[in-house]
Amino acid sequence: MGKTRFKVPLKRNQSFTLNITSMTDMFTILLVFLLQSFAAGEVNLDLATGVRLPSSSTEKNPVDGVKLSLSPTELKFDQTVIAKVIDSKIDLASIDPNDDKFIKPLFEALKKFNTDNEKLAKTGKVLLQADQELPYGTISKVLYTASMAGFPNLKLVTTVGQ
Amino acid sequence: MGRSKKLTINHNSEFELDLAPLLAVMVKLVPVLLVSSAFVQMMIIETELPQVVQQAIKQQETNPKSAQISVNITKNEGVKITVTEGDQQKIEIIGLDNDKKIDFKALHAKFVEMKSSHPEIFKIDFNPDSDVTYKDVVRVMDEARKARNKDIKFPVIDNKTGQKSTTDYMFPEVVFSNTMDG
Repeated sequence: MGKTRFKVPLKRNQSFTLNITSMTDMFTILLVFLLQSFAAGEVNLDLATGVRLPSSSTEKNPVDGVKLSLSPTELKFDQTVIAKVIDSKIDLASIDPNDDKFIKPLFEALKKFNTDNEKLAKTGKVLLQADQELPYGTISKVLYTASMAGFPNLKLVTTVGQ
Repeated sequence: MGRSKKLTINHNSEFELDLAPLLAVMVKLVPVLLVSSAFVQMMIIETELPQVVQQAIKQQETNPKSAQISVNITKNEGVKITVTEGDQQKIEIIGLDNDKKIDFKALHAKFVEMKSSHPEIFKIDFNPDSDVTYKDVVRVMDEARKARNKDIKFPVIDNKTGQKSTTDYMFPEVVFSNTMDG
């Protein structure tokens, strides 16, 4: 006696409902978290490429100011590369031959900023993102040049730690 | 004579919630916020301080007789703290630890000791050597800024009211005094 094969009847017009409750839960939690972190700061500061910031116990949120970044390979004014960094030192071509702490392109960029953005330039604030392994000598050149250009109010950007 | 039709209400009827528009908003917002959010929380070292501490710093600046503290950081010797009071100078050296790195624990303890003996001082001069790494400079500033032990408080007098108060700030105001040196 042969066995009869049971065929599963397929209804081609059958529909199914999608249960999206758990996905809605996940999106709600994610959205609330991101909205909260998005609205937290006065200024949105982007981490500069190639810069590992030191950690600090300071609790101050970033404020508005001129953004400088100093990585092991380049010095940037906002997003524009203004000088090269070679062996953790500012390239000699960018240094004034009469003053070994004076970075010419940085001074010019800051002077131009002074005339283009008078309101922000009046505060004299500079937000410096510098790589943690750079020697102080290199950073002091940036501080020196910034003060000469009328930006003595330095803010060192760090990550939260300790 | 018209017949009135009785409206029946079925109290057990259900309604389905249409979540599609809500989900559409979320699907659009979440990627935008994810892209723009920073998962590295960045802060700044600034000098906005409580009013009483700010006034104490101003008073220190205007008083020529106030003691001055200068911190020299070198890679090979550690940290040298010089306290200048009039013609007298007192020097303390915090050497390197066994790993040839700055002994931050001992340094913090020294700062606490100095603050206890000079509670009126809030500003210090920083003179790191050129070869000291930036992270060490930031770390020394951290150790000098505030007392880590919450039980330690330092007295401060409000100049306006004459009232005595306490603060856990030690040396929050830092001046890089060797920046302008040739």
